[in-house]
Amino acid sequence: MPTVLRAFDDKNEGYKEGKVSNTRFGSFPHSTLIGQKWGSQIAASKVDTGSRGRKPTKRKAEELDASTGADDDSASTKTPVAASSGFLHLMYPTPESWTLSLPHRTQVVYTPDYSYILHRLRARPGSTVIEAGAGSGSFTHASVRAVFNGYPGEKPATKKQRLGKVCSYEFHEQRAGRVREEITEHGLDGLVEVTHRDVYEDGFLLGDPQTGRSPKASAIFLDLPAPWLALKHLVRHPASGGESPLDPNSTAYICTFSPCLEQAEKTIRMMRKLSWLNISMVEVQHNRIEVKRERIGLDCDGIRGATVFPKTVDEAATKLREDDARAKRFRLGRSADEETSAKEEASSLKEPAGPLYSVGRLVHRSENELKTHTSYLVFAILPRDWTEEDEQRCRQKYPSDKADNNDRIPAGKSRKQMKREFKELRLKEAADEKAKAQQPAEETSEA
Amino acid sequence: MHSFIPPNQFVAIKLPSDQTRIVKLVPDSLVQLGKYGSFPANQIIGRPFYFTFEIQDTAEKDGYKLRVVSATELHAETLIEEAEADGEGEDQPEGSEIPMRTNRQIVDDASTQTLTLQEIEELKKEAGGAGKEIIAKILESHTALDQKTAFSLAKYTLRKRQKYLKRFTVVPLDVSTLANFMLAEKDATRTMELRDEHIGLLGCFGNVHYGGDSHNEESTTDGLPTTKPNGRYYVVDETGGLVVAAMAERMGILYPRDEEEDEDDGEEEEATDSNEQNPTGEDSNAEAQGATSTSKRKRPQAMSASGNTITVVHASSQPNLSLLKYFGYDINTPDENHPLHTHLKTVTWLQMLDPAVDPILSNRPAEIPPAELAALKGSKRSAYHFKRNRWERIKKVVEEARAGSFDGLVVATLLEPASVLKNLVPLLSGSASVAVYSPTVESLVVLMDKYSTTRRTAFINNKRDLEAQSTSGQTDIDLSSLYEEFELDPTLLLPPTLHRSRVRAWQVLPGRTHPLMTGRGGAEGYLFHGVRVIPTTANVQAAGTFRKKRKLEQQTSTPTPTTDQDVEMAS
Repeated sequence: MPTVLRAFDDKNEGYKEGKVSNTRFGSFPHSTLIGQKWGSQIAASKVDTGSRGRKPTKRKAEELDASTGADDDSASTKTPVAASSGFLHLMYPTPESWTLSLPHRTQVVYTPDYSYILHRLRARPGSTVIEAGAGSGSFTHASVRAVFNGYPGEKPATKKQRLGKVCSYEFHEQRAGRVREEITEHGLDGLVEVTHRDVYEDGFLLGDPQTGRSPKASAIFLDLPAPWLALKHLVRHPASGGESPLDPNSTAYICTFSPCLEQAEKTIRMMRKLSWLNISMVEVQHNRIEVKRERIGLDCDGIRGATVFPKTVDEAATKLREDDARAKRFRLGRSADEETSAKEEASSLKEPAGPLYSVGRLVHRSENELKTHTSYLVFAILPRDWTEEDEQRCRQKYPSDKADNNDRIPAGKSRKQMKREFKELRLKEAADEKAKAQQPAEETSEA
Repeated sequence: MHSFIPPNQFVAIKLPSDQTRIVKLVPDSLVQLGKYGSFPANQIIGRPFYFTFEIQDTAEKDGYKLRVVSATELHAETLIEEAEADGEGEDQPEGSEIPMRTNRQIVDDASTQTLTLQEIEELKKEAGGAGKEIIAKILESHTALDQKTAFSLAKYTLRKRQKYLKRFTVVPLDVSTLANFMLAEKDATRTMELRDEHIGLLGCFGNVHYGGDSHNEESTTDGLPTTKPNGRYYVVDETGGLVVAAMAERMGILYPRDEEEDEDDGEEEEATDSNEQNPTGEDSNAEAQGATSTSKRKRPQAMSASGNTITVVHASSQPNLSLLKYFGYDINTPDENHPLHTHLKTVTWLQMLDPAVDPILSNRPAEIPPAELAALKGSKRSAYHFKRNRWERIKKVVEEARAGSFDGLVVATLLEPASVLKNLVPLLSGSASVAVYSPTVESLVVLMDKYSTTRRTAFINNKRDLEAQSTSGQTDIDLSSLYEEFELDPTLLLPPTLHRSRVRAWQVLPGRTHPLMTGRGGAEGYLFHGVRVIPTTANVQAAGTFRKKRKLEQQTSTPTPTTDQDVEMAS
């Protein structure tokens, strides 16, 4: 009987007294959860079954200021034998826990895939990500965490800084609605903009498909059945003459997620036609590894999970010898008394060395059910637009004939000189400095 | 991050041979690309990244000798092939008899190439730059060319092109580029053979993200932040700074703040002065104004940020973060405008464990009254300030690090992982994530075993027994014997999981799609993940009546987690 179980119910602390989350590991009134530290272990309470009510209203209890993740207070619990003594751990929400507990609507992009995709897409704080095919919302949450660098309208930007944002498009109206609800529930309003849209036809502009604002995205993730049909909208100068959904000042990174090779091939073909560069296709192979102790030996009798089998050739031989001896005695008509045989057996069976948890050989193996294929990931890059004027301006600014071999040697010299001058200045400044001394000074004084 | 090539920063240049060079683009200098030739750096500075340039032999009249190779040209071969494939598909009904090319007739012999080496050299001199002519000639003169299958032909042209085309692509030097560069062309063991997929997973499992805006570098004196979580992470990094860089990238503190992003291209000068020039310029300004000490511009104190920070715990007296230099941050001569200057903190293990004996912390510089100080010579005074500030800074950082309540722990270390977790996991706040990378599985298997269910159960039971032995009046229970038996407290981390991830690259060409034939071997790379939990004390007692029964079951069970979020029976 497996004693390792899992339960992942998204739990939401409610303000209402009497709101209870029920799991197979017991009932937990939310009043026992609110105010507890994250990560706390919390005992199940005995609840009057009459008062249990699963209210559909979910409320988040705390504004999770900097935490960008989903707000499911994922509680993982474990039951002992009796239901009355269960407990759970109160965890704070992360995209990872959301991915594992979200209501499935479509195929889910799991952590190994999205972590790699977001890394390759250069989705960083301040980036804008287009996600088409919001699906179950797993990627949505992960990408919000990646691009988050402040809530809009939170404070006047001290410097011109773009705030990270995710623009999510979903063809399926109901799913789009669900994602929108989740985003609101999780306090991600303003960070994620969900649009119900057929992107093949209508493209990626926010608001009206024709005249709407451009999301100005630098990273694009397409989890669509036919990504190649959407690619025509993701160009610098759309044929329709409208605004490009891409950020004109940055390189665009794209990733498409297709389970079938044919889809990926078609996508790549279209990408080549549309001048995408560095096209590459990969698949992510991930598996979890189980670690356990393998206990083999004749002395393991009575220990569950262990294999009673000779550990070594010697042990096998000893066993055979003993068996033989016993058989002989038996043939001799049980003349030998029971005592000696019992003694022998006792001597041959040694006590297992050490406590149980450290007995046996440590082994690792792959989990039993492997996800051997998730999808083919196609990555590509579209450099920013570059006009003849830009080029001319650049040529003026950095005259191209200014570098010749003669220039290089003095340049090296002057760098050295600069360093020396810099050091001297530093010394001087350090001498003058009253308030604080700095790291560079450390260099000079120690040097 | 820039979309165009910045001056005075490192960029990666990809060559046709698939090699990468990392170059610092100093304006007015010449970039040498070995046999591919050279070009003035000015000719690529300011241009967009990911452009492919071809070095031409004959320069334009202003000395410009690079040509941007368009995407269509780069894809030309495949596009033609694809078009042909489409055409064939229309003309020929399925299964019609086109003689299939095989490699049966091919003689593998150098004699099939009729051009001699000398002739090729001459050709190179004549045709010079473009290289395409040479390739065409070589292809022409290959007698057995028509016998080649499409596959081997593509291979052949590709090989020749890599040899003769003078093309290069300029790529921004970010964490991914650097990781691949270290992996493929430098000593991969220096970065513990960390690959892209590991970096991504490490960041996600560690739940590393931007942790709030805290640009109050100058004001924080006692500033422990009030809001939680605020993005403070422990990092143990023996990859030369690659992990720190990757985490900093996720937190938005890796790249120098550049104002030019939103504005026009015109104002790069201020933002792009080299590290050394920048402070120099400021200081001379300050002096020119005759302001020596009073009106001095306040500079951000090193390691002063209160949130969104990385605290590196290192084993030597100085951390090895040399790779950060590629991102404009040299740990020895830090650029004060770089975000890492305030957001990267470093602590030695000695300072963590036993600050009393640390050579710097234990030597508190004596305070000198201001009057006396004014009488001192300039150099002595600065030395005093330096020592005093350093002591205060380190003291503050160490106190913060030792106080704990951090939001995550990311480890890629040569140390035994269990010893790292033993010391740092108790300092994490509840629900903080722990992610450990190891190139090989063994150390992580041991770590997993340290958190195994049976061990945890034994730990809880032993602890309870010890507590039961002690008299009720005693508040401090001697648990030292417990920690002798158990190296680390297995109840603090749930659910321990171990992962392996590998990315497999494919070649996608019309009719020739397959996984790449060769790839990098070496370390597979494994990740350990767990979440810090706070075990309750009261509950365990309450459930005590079931202990015996459960204990029996526990002993028989083996940890067989099925998902990320498994929680095993713990009490």
